[in-house]
Amino acid sequence: MAAIEIESLTKWYSRVRGVEDVTFSIERGEVFGYLGPNGSGKTTTIRCLMGLLRPSRGEVRVLGERVAPGRGTQHARIGYLPGDFRIWGRAKARRALGILAALGGDGGSAARRKELAERLELNLDRAVGDLSKGNRQKVALISAFQHRPDVLVLDEPTAGLDPLMRQTALDLIREAAGGGAAVLLSSHDLSEVAAVCSRAAILREGRLVEMAPISQIIQQGEHRLKIWFADGAGVGDVPTAQLPGVRIVERQAGMLHLAYQGTADAILKWVAQFPVDRIATPQTSLEEAFMQYYRSSPSAVVGAGVHKAARGVRA
Amino acid sequence: MSRTSRPPFPFVLLRFWLVRILPAWCGIALLIFLMQIAVSAIVHDNEKVKTLLGFIDMLPSIVKAALGGEMLRVGNTSALIAIGYNHPFVLFLFMLFAVGTPTGLLAGEVQRGTMELILSHPATKTQVYVCAGILTLAGMFALDIVMFLGTVAGVNIFTFKDRVPLDVFFRIAVNGGLLASTFGAFALLCAGTFGKLYTAISVSVAFLVANYFVAILSNWWPRMAFLRPATLFYLVDSSDLWQGWPLRNMGILAVILLVTAGLGAVIWHRRDLPL
Repeated sequence: MAAIEIESLTKWYSRVRGVEDVTFSIERGEVFGYLGPNGSGKTTTIRCLMGLLRPSRGEVRVLGERVAPGRGTQHARIGYLPGDFRIWGRAKARRALGILAALGGDGGSAARRKELAERLELNLDRAVGDLSKGNRQKVALISAFQHRPDVLVLDEPTAGLDPLMRQTALDLIREAAGGGAAVLLSSHDLSEVAAVCSRAAILREGRLVEMAPISQIIQQGEHRLKIWFADGAGVGDVPTAQLPGVRIVERQAGMLHLAYQGTADAILKWVAQFPVDRIATPQTSLEEAFMQYYRSSPSAVVGAGVHKAARGVRA
Repeated sequence: MSRTSRPPFPFVLLRFWLVRILPAWCGIALLIFLMQIAVSAIVHDNEKVKTLLGFIDMLPSIVKAALGGEMLRVGNTSALIAIGYNHPFVLFLFMLFAVGTPTGLLAGEVQRGTMELILSHPATKTQVYVCAGILTLAGMFALDIVMFLGTVAGVNIFTFKDRVPLDVFFRIAVNGGLLASTFGAFALLCAGTFGKLYTAISVSVAFLVANYFVAILSNWWPRMAFLRPATLFYLVDSSDLWQGWPLRNMGILAVILLVTAGLGAVIWHRRDLPL
């Protein structure tokens, strides 16, 4: 049984589409990346998952239980970090976190809270309203992790953190997943998604356009080829019309940096007519793969494969 | 496999909100208590009563009607003490709590963004609404009891020529509590319905002020007497309270209170909050 199951989730805000026909599931111990630009429907999905919004259609299940809107379904076992974390500003961090822990029925998490505060280097005896944005984000992280949840729903968990603390936050996510927790990680920071997630889904205009292991998503993006020509020889104009799917990333005297989709066969055959010194294949990043989905038209990327993949994972 | 979990009642939230509203409640309660003692201090002395009535006579007749009308005269101690119960300042204090508490707790938490955090913990939306409802209705009722205790204290501190019928004032306080709680329930309905704090406050205040204004107008202007039953104040008629417990009116008020609060609970539960 998957820890999180989302089936044909659709949410309309009056006539505006939030998400449409979103289907995926997350296993225990898995860190699942949820990607998409602003307004693509990530937060809507998360709020439906938390029962904060009533879906127009579809079903969400957490730890085997159907999420009923406004009923706090399995919330004692969920650690939630909202994208815009706001807490009672006048309360000290320790008290605010204590109230949230007690609300979760876990009054005995003080030791865990202390441990997390030490790791994140946060002074719990300051009023939350007096904390910097980064330190407030640490409070948010502690509130999500303090009761050792079985499911973590994290919306931009490292926003505002310095690189050192970002690593600590990613370590916390890895440890939770290592302990068997299912993690839904929504983020704009693709490097952190690539660092901790095994699989990811990409949303575009409320629809799921890709869901695959990170390595596969990266492979599906553009590939890069850097070619240095012998003795700095020039190659004239690149016949892009004869090389479909190829674009020039950078061009210097004696060096050509190309991006291509599919195979490199046509490029290599064209390059073979020039004296080549060396060729390098720079790593494609998740960011480049991600951008790929937003450069192409929606119809080109919305595929039946996404749903097939979603069902395949659950099977 | 599917199993249904029901979160336990969030007493932690109830306690947390209680601590938050307690200073305001104590401040309002203190002012209401002192007001009753001040009224007793004035009305126990006939000379002071004459001065007070002379002052009231100088006010527009509509204001006099609001304070008790023709019942205000030397010797009618009970009616004079009752000034402390329907004085605009006391009603303003009640309104402050009736409107401020539910709107601050529900619409306020939504607007501040903290409601998302509360509802992401094991608490249902209905439980959260019930917490705000308990604090509003119990708080309103408790204020009325404080008002009565103020009268008890005043009557014991100062010497009155005639016996003051405290049982009547207890009836007034209980019925006033019911009326105040009904206004609180309306504010609760507004807090559960409107996303913006100020909209919830504005509609609640408008409802209360309209009721009060129509009640005064219909008592003061005979041609408007037909409007009397249109306000909630009509259900707490002082002439009825003098006689005994107005059970029918109390029942109607209780039904209005429960229906209003229940309607608010349904709307609150069904609607998507503007998180």
